[in-house]
Amino acid sequence: MKIIFEHEEENNTGHLQEEDVCIELPSDIVRKEPLPIPNVNEVDVVRHYTNLSRMNFGVDIGFYPLGSCTMKYNPKVNEDAARAEGFSNLHPLSPEECTQGSLKLMWELKEYLKDITGMDDFSLQPSAGAQSELLGVMIAKAHFRSKGEKRTKAIIPDSAHGTNPATASICKLETITIPSDSRGNMDIGRYKELLSPEVALVMLTNPNTLGLFDENTTEISHLAHKNGTLMYCDGANMNALLGITRPGDQGFDMIHLNLHKTFSTPHGGGGPGAGVLGVKSFLAEYLPIPQVVKRDSRYSLDYASKKSVGRVRSFYGNFGMHVRAYSYIHSWGTQIRKVSEHAVLNANYLQDLLKDTFDLAYDRRCAHEFVLSSRRFGEKSALNIAKRLMDYGFHPPTIYFPLIVPEALMIEPTETESKETLDRFVLALKKIASELKEHPEIVKQSPLSTPVGRLDEVAAARRPNLRWRPSQRQTKVE
Amino acid sequence: MLELKFTKEHEWVRIMDELAIIGISDFAQEQLGDIVSIELPKTGGVFRQGQTMAIVDSVKASSDIYAPISGEIVEVNEGLIEKPEVINQSPYDLGWIAKIKPSKMEEFESLMTREEYDRYIGQIK
Amino acid sequence: MDYIPATEKDIKEMLNLVGVSSINDLVREFIPAFRGKLNLPQPKSELELLGHMKGLAHTNKVLRYFIGGGAYNHYIPSAVSHLLARGDLYTGYTPYQAEMSQGTLQAIYEFQSFICLLTGMDVANASLYEGASALAEAALLSCSYTGRDHIFVKEGLHPQYLEVLQTYCEGSELTVTDKIDDKTACVIAQNPDFYGNIENMHYLAEQAHSAGALFTTCIIEPTSLAILEPPGKYGADIVAGEGQSFGIPLSFGGPYLGFIAVKDFLLKKLPGRICGMTTDSKGNRGFVLTFQAREQHIRRERATSNITTNQALMALAATIYLALMGRTGLTRVAKLSYARAHLLNGKLEKVGFRNLNIKPFYNEFAVKVPGSAEALASRLLKKGILGGVNLAEDSLLICCTEMNSVQDIDDFVSAVAGD
Repeated sequence: MKIIFEHEEENNTGHLQEEDVCIELPSDIVRKEPLPIPNVNEVDVVRHYTNLSRMNFGVDIGFYPLGSCTMKYNPKVNEDAARAEGFSNLHPLSPEECTQGSLKLMWELKEYLKDITGMDDFSLQPSAGAQSELLGVMIAKAHFRSKGEKRTKAIIPDSAHGTNPATASICKLETITIPSDSRGNMDIGRYKELLSPEVALVMLTNPNTLGLFDENTTEISHLAHKNGTLMYCDGANMNALLGITRPGDQGFDMIHLNLHKTFSTPHGGGGPGAGVLGVKSFLAEYLPIPQVVKRDSRYSLDYASKKSVGRVRSFYGNFGMHVRAYSYIHSWGTQIRKVSEHAVLNANYLQDLLKDTFDLAYDRRCAHEFVLSSRRFGEKSALNIAKRLMDYGFHPPTIYFPLIVPEALMIEPTETESKETLDRFVLALKKIASELKEHPEIVKQSPLSTPVGRLDEVAAARRPNLRWRPSQRQTKVE
Repeated sequence: MLELKFTKEHEWVRIMDELAIIGISDFAQEQLGDIVSIELPKTGGVFRQGQTMAIVDSVKASSDIYAPISGEIVEVNEGLIEKPEVINQSPYDLGWIAKIKPSKMEEFESLMTREEYDRYIGQIK
Repeated sequence: MDYIPATEKDIKEMLNLVGVSSINDLVREFIPAFRGKLNLPQPKSELELLGHMKGLAHTNKVLRYFIGGGAYNHYIPSAVSHLLARGDLYTGYTPYQAEMSQGTLQAIYEFQSFICLLTGMDVANASLYEGASALAEAALLSCSYTGRDHIFVKEGLHPQYLEVLQTYCEGSELTVTDKIDDKTACVIAQNPDFYGNIENMHYLAEQAHSAGALFTTCIIEPTSLAILEPPGKYGADIVAGEGQSFGIPLSFGGPYLGFIAVKDFLLKKLPGRICGMTTDSKGNRGFVLTFQAREQHIRRERATSNITTNQALMALAATIYLALMGRTGLTRVAKLSYARAHLLNGKLEKVGFRNLNIKPFYNEFAVKVPGSAEALASRLLKKGILGGVNLAEDSLLICCTEMNSVQDIDDFVSAVAGD
C-alpha cells in the first residue's frame, strides 16, 4: 500500500472555492516554500483510507479479549447521539444560555458516576486515565500541603499498570513497590511494614491486573486512613463492580474511571478516551476548575474554587465521550449490574475451560478478567500464541503483563460476547497448544494470514524512520 | 587477559592502568535481547557502588546498569550511542560502557570471580 | 437496551460449567456488597434513548461563529466523518499487535509526517490529549533534557494554556518565570498569539539558545501554517499545539488533538506513542509502535511521561482532512480565513471599532468596541451571532474562517449598528 505522500500529484477536489486573495503580510513571517503536502483527489483519498481500514481489526470485526482494556461493543446509538448538531457543533465559549443541554448532560453524568462509585464529587476534565492519575496525585499533594505535611512516597503493588509509578514519579513522589502474595493480593505484611507517615497515597487497582479482588482492601484502607494516607483507586477494572460494590464504600478517597473501558466509548485505535476523577467530599475543593454546577434548574460553569489545583487541559474535557458514556448509562439504567455480572461470568467460564491447557496464575475465582501463563510451552510462547491467534480470527489477549507472571496472557472477554464466541476462542487456544507440541514452526512463523508478518522491531528502533521525507519517494508503483 | 570480576547485577569490571573498565556480561546482553539505545553517564559524574550509572533499552525492556564500584567517570564509550548493538556483539571488549577512577579499590576485591559468577548464573537460570 | 448476547440457556450452561448455581456466587467476595438502590434513570430502548439525547442536544443553541479563542470553526469535508465511522478504524485498541493494526499504524505514520512537513520539524509523536497539555509536556521535556527547572513564557499565550502549564509545573515542582537566564529550560511563545499577533521569532530563538534553553513554539491555529513560515525554520526546538482546526468538530471543547514535534536531538525525550516504518521477514513494508522503552509500560518510574491512550482517532481525522484538502485546499482555507478576518476588521473600523493588534494578524484579531463589549455581545446574540471572546470591558477577540460568508460579515456589521 502506498503512503499518502507517494501518490502521484492529482487535481484538487475543490472542497472550498478559489477566491482571489492578496496576502499582505511582511515577507519575514510568510512561508517561502510551497506547502510540502500532496494534492490527492477525494476518490483516491477515500480509497486509500478505506483500504487502510481493511488492514485493521476492531471489536466490530471480532473478539478482542485484551485484559484491563474492556474491549466491549461500542453501541452505535451513542455515536448518533454524539453527532447531533447541538452537541458536535457547539463552540465551547458559547454563552451559558446556549449550552444548557451540554451542561445538564455533564452534571447528570457526574451524578450517575457518583452514585455508581460511592464518591461525593467528580471532575470530567481529564482526557484519559493517566491524566486522571496525574490529577489525583496533584490533589493528594495539595491536600497534604494545606495540612502542613510533607509526604514524599506512594505505595504501589508490583502488579500495577505502568502509568501508576510513572505518574508518581512525574509528581516527584518516590514509589514503594509492594509484592503480591500467593493469592494475588498485595502482601499485607509488607504493606504494614512500609506504611509510614511519609506515604502520601496508596494506588490500588481493584480488582487488580491479575483479575482478582484484593481480599484485604478494607484492612488496607483502614490502616491507610489511620496513618493519614490517602487511598487512590485505579478504576480501570470497574467493569467487574457496577452495582455490586462501590470503591467509595471500600475506603477509597479517589477513583478514576476510564469512560472508554467500562462505559463503552470506543477506543479509536488509541483514543480519544476520557478519564474522570471521583473524590470524597474533603478533596472536592481541589478539583479542577471549571466545575459544572446546578442552581435551581440552571446549569453553569463555576470557576470559584480557590483551592483548585487548576486546569489539566483546555476547556471542559472530552465532551464527545461524555455524551457517549451518558447515553450508555441511560441505555442500561437501573439494570447496569447485569453488565458486571455477565463480565464476571464470561471470564470465569473461560478461565475454567482453559485452566488445564495452561497454567492458572492464581488458583482463585477471577473477577472480569484472568491471567494464564503459557510457561509450560517454553520461552516466548505467549508471544507465539498471540501471533497465531490472529490466524484464527481473534485479537490476542494482553501479553507479558502483569510483569509478575512469566509468559502472561491476560484475558478479558467482557459481557458483550456470546457463549459461542467464547467456545470458539477456547477451541482455537487448545488447537494452538497442540500445534506448539506438534508443529511449533507454524506457530513461530505466525501470523500467516495478515497483511504483513512479524515486523522487525529492532530495526525500527535502531534505524528509525518516523516520518516520510520527499527523498523517500518510490519510483515503483505498488 | 586481565582479571574480570562480576557483580550480582551482571556488570563486569577489569582494572587496567589504575582505571576500572565497566560493561555488562554476556548473560546480561542475552537476557536483554537486541539493545536499541543506551543512556550513558556524563564524564566527571561520581557514583557510589550500586548506584544507577546508565540505562540500556531493548525493544521490550529498559534496564538499569549499576556502578559496580564507586568512583568518578573519566571516559564513556560514545560509539555505543550510534551503535548500541555492539554491546550484544562484543560485551566484554568493544561493548565496554565506561571507565571509572575507583575511589575504593577494596570494592573490587569483594566482587565475584569468573567461576563464582558462572556458578551464580547457573543457579538463577 | 441489552448488549449481552447470552440467552437464559447459555447462562445456565455456563453457570453449570463453572459450578455455581447463580452469578451472585461469583461476585460474593466483592465487598462491601452494595445493597442500596442505584439512583440511575430507567433503562431505555434505543428509540427512547435517541429521543432523550436529541432533546438534550436541542436545548443547546448553535450560533453563527465569529469566535476562536482556541477552538476554530473550519469546514470539515463530508468524507472525513464517513471514513471515521468505519468500525475497523474506530473500534480497535492501541496498535500493540502490529500485524492486525497496519491501517491504524500507517495512518499514525502519515499523521506524524504531516505534522513534521507543516511545522518544519524532524519528528512528531502520534498525538497528545490537546494543545494545552501538549504544551505542558513540551515544558516537562525541556526540563528533563536541560536538567533545569524554570520555564519562560512570552506574553500573549492563551490564558487557559498558561493555567494548564502552571498546574503541570506545580505538580512537577517546576517554576514559570519572567526571565531568560541560566536556570531557564524552555522559552515558550504562541504564534500567532492569543490576540492574533504574528511575529518573526528568530530573535527569541536566539535568546533562548544563548542562555542554553530550548525554544518552543505553541501553535493553536495550525491552518496558519499554510501561509506562515514554519517554526522549524525560525529556530524552534519543539513545536506543541492544537490540531482541532484540521477536520475536528467543535464538540463543546473535546475531544481535540494535541500534537508535539521536535528536532532530532530530542527524539529520546519525546513523550507518548511513536510509529516507525520497518519490514517483515519477507521484506514487506510495515509499521510498528517504536521507542516503547521510553514509555510507562516499560520504564514505569523512569518513563518520559505517563501517557497511554491519546487521541488516535482525532489524529486520523486530521490526517484524512489534510489528505483531502491537500496543498491547494489548505492554502484556500488560510487565504479565505485571512481575507474574511481582514474584511470584517476593515468594516468594523469604519463603524467606530479600533484594531488593537500590535503586529499583523492571520484570522483572529482584537478590537476596541465603541461602548461596552457585553452590550454588543447581547445585540449580536439576538441575531444568532457569537461575536468573539470578551477580552475586557470594551474589547473583543474576533475570529473569521472560510465558514463566514461575506453575507455573514455584513450581518455582523449591521447587527453592530443595531439594525
